[in-house]
Amino acid sequence: MNKRITLKIAGIERETNDIKTYSFKHSLNAQPAQFIMLTDFEGGEKPFSISDCTEDVFSITVKRIGEFTTRLFQKRVGDYVSIRGAFGSSFFVSQGKVLLIGGGYAVPTFYFLSKVLKENGAEVTLINGARTKDEHLFSEKLSKLGIKVINTTDDGTFGEKGTSVDITKRMLNHHSQAGAWERENGKMFDFVYVSGPEMMMKALQPLLKDHDYEFLFERYMKCAIGICGNCTMDPLGIRLCVEGPVLPKKLVEQLTEFGQYHRDATGKRIKY
Amino acid sequence: MRKRLKTKFLGIEVNLPLVLPAGIMDMSFSGLDISAKNGAGIVTSKSLTLEPRLGHKGPVVAEFESGLLNAVGLCNPGIVDGLTEINQFKERSDTPVIVSVFATNTDDFSKLTNHVNKSRGDFLELNLSCPNVFDEFGIPLAASKDEVFKIVKAVKEISRLPIIAKLSPNVYDIVEIALAAEKAGADALCMINTVGPGMLINTKMVKPVLFNKFGGLSGPCIKPIALKLIYQTYSALNIPIIGMGGVTIGEDAIEMIMAGATLVGVGTAVYYRGIEVFDKINREIIEFMDENNYDNLEDIPKLEKLK
Repeated sequence: MNKRITLKIAGIERETNDIKTYSFKHSLNAQPAQFIMLTDFEGGEKPFSISDCTEDVFSITVKRIGEFTTRLFQKRVGDYVSIRGAFGSSFFVSQGKVLLIGGGYAVPTFYFLSKVLKENGAEVTLINGARTKDEHLFSEKLSKLGIKVINTTDDGTFGEKGTSVDITKRMLNHHSQAGAWERENGKMFDFVYVSGPEMMMKALQPLLKDHDYEFLFERYMKCAIGICGNCTMDPLGIRLCVEGPVLPKKLVEQLTEFGQYHRDATGKRIKY
Repeated sequence: MRKRLKTKFLGIEVNLPLVLPAGIMDMSFSGLDISAKNGAGIVTSKSLTLEPRLGHKGPVVAEFESGLLNAVGLCNPGIVDGLTEINQFKERSDTPVIVSVFATNTDDFSKLTNHVNKSRGDFLELNLSCPNVFDEFGIPLAASKDEVFKIVKAVKEISRLPIIAKLSPNVYDIVEIALAAEKAGADALCMINTVGPGMLINTKMVKPVLFNKFGGLSGPCIKPIALKLIYQTYSALNIPIIGMGGVTIGEDAIEMIMAGATLVGVGTAVYYRGIEVFDKINREIIEFMDENNYDNLEDIPKLEKLK
């Protein structure tokens, strides 16, 4: 049985106007990309990716987008919330040269992953993209990890100008022109991780055809225990709360709904 | 080996005796498909309503020591989009589909039936018994033999598909209600829906765990109730029963069959044993048949009927 635990908020850190990180003193034992379901019993229970997890503390990074998160933003240190989890699959922990491509609000998950990869001896390069400087996340935290970080914004207000996709394209093209394709079957990286808006991931997919990769997906979740079927992805019937949210290349390649549509809380298909 | 599990249900050949019930893994054609691929012989759609429904706010499900409590609140994309998923499923699978529909009056049930008539569904299930929308709709229709008779009769007159009435366990006299359904023309029964409803309380925050406060109970703890009601109903009626409620292992399914069920639903056990649960239970049924020298599913004896 997956026991529900009710915890006091131990720390709150403001990341941007609309994003806060909440930490909790609890031995969650989660892996990068896993998520919890969180509720305050006032209406709504939502999934949140773990943005850091040590032996006795874990944190989640929350964007204010609706009624539920607005209420969460009003909570203070010491207030109770109740959680279930951690649920779902986690990122493969690769060795060697790895590339993490992150966009916007999906980047905090990569903080946790970068730490784990670094501990396991991987050589980490992370592209941290956002639309604009005010929405750029975790640049300071990531810079302290001793990994290579390429900061980028769509409007050039912070780091390089361009999207995460532009930067990836530039990086791989440059590598290709340098004649490095012969090396390691044309692979510049041993493994690539992608976490960000779905259309960003869709745009990256063809660029990464020669690489092994994992993508982190998001779908509307209700039960989180693999029975309601709200988060299944077509045509495989993959339950994102159990077999996901991380999916490997061989499954990503078979998804017909990837970049096409997702389902809302009623189950209705919503086109991208 | 699996051939030994073949059976017939309302004139249709069914390869495997396990049914994916409404509300489990059924929001998409791919959810139905993966369940069928894992050994469900019949799959059921989410209970569809005329218009899309968001369902209740979360938490919609709560786990406890011997089962689950849920109040999803009939979320569904509406009959039109729901049937699109079913038709898409039928394009890729021969597995029969039960189209489940929910309404609160004869008119709406009739409208839903007209939609279903044009679909590729194989059976029509009338969900008369959702326990989780009391605030909105009041006592389920399945609590009244007169309501059950009225709805089933009206739908029977216009339905192209055989009708399955989904009954509630939360009544004093199940036989009286089941008989009303049979008399009105129901071709089969599906029972039981979730039990209760019940509730759980978060003691630190002094709040009900489910946002709906109350929710239907499922899982191992409800099996004895299901068996009793199915047995009583089987004893008094002549139409087939899809028996469900807490079936988790092969022996539970055998008990359902002995109590009178023709097919057996498996829902909450997807949580306990994974999506592979259908094939696990299929294998366990075959093991039981081997141990007891039953060649075919029909050879498994039923209890002597209640007098």
